[in-house]
Amino acid sequence: MNCKKIRRLLPLMMGPEIPHAKVAAVNAHLEKCPECRREYDAYVLSLEKTKEWLKEDSKDWEDREWQAVLQGAKKEKAPKASHLVPWPFKKIWAYALMAVCVVVLTLLVVRPSFIEEGTGAGERMLAQQEVISMTLVSQETGLKIVWFFNKNFELKEIEE
Amino acid sequence: MKNEYELVVDVLEGNQGSFEILLQPYRKGILNMAYRMTGNLEEAKEVCQETLIKIYRHLDKFKKEKSLKNWIYTITMNSTYDYLREKKKYKDLVEKQKSLPVDTGLDPEKKLVNKEIKEKIDTCLQTLSPKEKSVFLLRDGEGFSVKETSKILGCSSMSVRTHLSRARQKIRTQFEKIYPFRYGEVKQ
Ligand SMILES: [Zn+2]
Repeated sequence: MNCKKIRRLLPLMMGPEIPHAKVAAVNAHLEKCPECRREYDAYVLSLEKTKEWLKEDSKDWEDREWQAVLQGAKKEKAPKASHLVPWPFKKIWAYALMAVCVVVLTLLVVRPSFIEEGTGAGERMLAQQEVISMTLVSQETGLKIVWFFNKNFELKEIEE
Repeated sequence: MKNEYELVVDVLEGNQGSFEILLQPYRKGILNMAYRMTGNLEEAKEVCQETLIKIYRHLDKFKKEKSLKNWIYTITMNSTYDYLREKKKYKDLVEKQKSLPVDTGLDPEKKLVNKEIKEKIDTCLQTLSPKEKSVFLLRDGEGFSVKETSKILGCSSMSVRTHLSRARQKIRTQFEKIYPFRYGEVKQ
């Protein structure tokens, strides 16, 4: 490599920024080229000194100030521990599970009372009912879903 | 002693005291980062306040497998850039209206004993663009790797190397204004 190419690589010689093969080539050149060597030394010195000054001039908080900044952050709405919740209880899964449970339970518990002639007072009452409604309310959004079924448990059209 | 992720969980579960323990190792680092980027300690503190608010607000987004340090510095850098952008907007506005003087030159830190060192640092860093400065401060100041720096700044490793190289060249040139030496003379 010639001096021009070497000079381009010099700023990155102070760390692991360039591949070993190139570092070796640059080092070999620096051994025999005093001009590039001086240039390299100048980079090393300027970087060392600047780092040193940065350390010397580093700032710290007064404890009182730091506490105030922490308090300022904590005034904000507290983060929710949503990602700590195991998957079956995460929002979307919770809604899906809830919906499935409701459907399965109603099919298991309510439907047989229509098929068989009910004998109990409660069953008779259900059988007499023309329309059954089921309401789902979201705790978070307040959104309300109302399902209407006829006594054969067929979804009924709602007339507003 | 609890590890960082356990502390994050603690905060999320409502134990606010853990928030302070969690940030303790970074309190100086983020202040100095913001200080070098803004060039003013009071402004740096404002940036840090914004940073801490974002950290607290988005703590639930922090992933266990990620490095907390990198995440905190990413937020610090974003807050700094936001601040500098706002400041520039404000400056432009003021310049347009030609009412208030933009820079009064009043700098409380100049009264401090280490005024001289600050001036040296300012001289060395003054020709760096914000990107060059942030790359230099993260890589050479804070010791992040090129890859980590690229992740924090949201750019490629190639871009980090290019900006780092330019930053070191500029620093080396500026450095000669402080240490005017003939090559080979100054060796420490
Ligand atoms: Zn040479």
